[in-house]
Amino acid sequence: MREFEYYKVKNLKEAINLSKKFGKNKRFLAGGTDLIVRLKDNLIKEENIIDIKNIEELKGIKEVEDEIHIGSLVTFSEIIESAILKKYSPLIVEASKKVGSPQIRNKGTIGGNICNASPAGDSIPPLFCEDAKFFLESTTGSRVVNIEDFFKGPGKTILKEDEILVKIIVKKWKENESGFFNKLGQRNALTIAIASSCVKIKKSNEKIDDIKIALGSVSPTVVRAKKVENILRGLKEYKKDEIIKICDEVKEEIDPITDVRGSREYRIEVSKYLVFEALNNLLNIRG
Amino acid sequence: MKKIKIDFILNGTEITDEVPVNITLSEYLRDYLKLTGTKEGCSKGECGACTVIIDDKIFDSCLILIPEVDGKDITTIEGISKDDLTPLQNSLIEEGAFQCGFCASGMVMSLTNLLSKNEKPSLEEIRESISGNLCRCTGYKKIIDAVIKLTKAII
Repeated sequence: MREFEYYKVKNLKEAINLSKKFGKNKRFLAGGTDLIVRLKDNLIKEENIIDIKNIEELKGIKEVEDEIHIGSLVTFSEIIESAILKKYSPLIVEASKKVGSPQIRNKGTIGGNICNASPAGDSIPPLFCEDAKFFLESTTGSRVVNIEDFFKGPGKTILKEDEILVKIIVKKWKENESGFFNKLGQRNALTIAIASSCVKIKKSNEKIDDIKIALGSVSPTVVRAKKVENILRGLKEYKKDEIIKICDEVKEEIDPITDVRGSREYRIEVSKYLVFEALNNLLNIRG
Repeated sequence: MKKIKIDFILNGTEITDEVPVNITLSEYLRDYLKLTGTKEGCSKGECGACTVIIDDKIFDSCLILIPEVDGKDITTIEGISKDDLTPLQNSLIEEGAFQCGFCASGMVMSLTNLLSKNEKPSLEEIRESISGNLCRCTGYKKIIDAVIKLTKAII
């Protein structure tokens, strides 16, 4: 592994100040499941590693009125075991179960998954469906950013040089809400998504009052399929052929690449069926 | 390379050492302490051969930077039993669960951790517990059979 300077910080203020000092020439170590692999592969140019793992302000899952605040250092195992999230934000729990392996889930953090900004980050599609907000802090103060404004491309976010993701804020689910996450990989464990879809629906009787669809691994960032959402919103009856036809419209909203995991064409085709599978689990689709 | 002081428990023994910051736990175990029971396969957290137990949870030791172990309680395959093999290890041998054996220590660590929390796991729980451990020769069945046989015996 290449050489670097290692700093263990005790609190958020220390992390931010050190971060300001190093500017671009630093990386944060949270879970490290990506960073350490990249250090070994000599893909990290930055010379300073700031270990933020001991910062209490970045830990824990808390209920705050009608919101849930998830610390950026919360691991996927902690998410899966969280009674609060199971009850009030189950899509994040379902997606976290699909991350890597038990060993990876014990170490990898939701904040790391978000800040690495991979279009294949498993926790990101559900956060789009939840309209998550990110609480960021820097030397100049704090700000709250909507998830839709956060990602700029693969590995790129709006985070400033001295800014850190403190927590993720989602609204608690209401009784008439339901959702479905599915990830297509080459196997069940230890796999990076070829494509993934996450659907959250708010229904009254059988009518779709609101719907959010997010797709992973099929664009430079995770994307919402808003055109498809608009077509589906307000529907009351669901025929299989018609729903598949509507799902086919996702091709207008994604822009996948061809890579070792799958071709552009395959990803476009499979996205349609991932969304259909989700809808089929959530709606009473006939015929 | 700058060195860092680490203080941790390894297989029940307190260890204090000064090490370069840019090595992983698996490298430290194998190259510095010569504890070669922990295997390193992929070096990127995909195979689970280097699995160790830290504070009652399993981790890929190839993805742990050595400064991270400070203050931790670590168990490797060498610390699983004092003298004899554990009932789990005996059951794996009886079932012929391993051929080349490269995944064995990682599998034993994951399964030991499972059984320490859950004496009577379901088939699904057994499979889930080793979902981060790849085996390329016996194909999991005999490994799972060995756990089923053992846990039924426990009942």
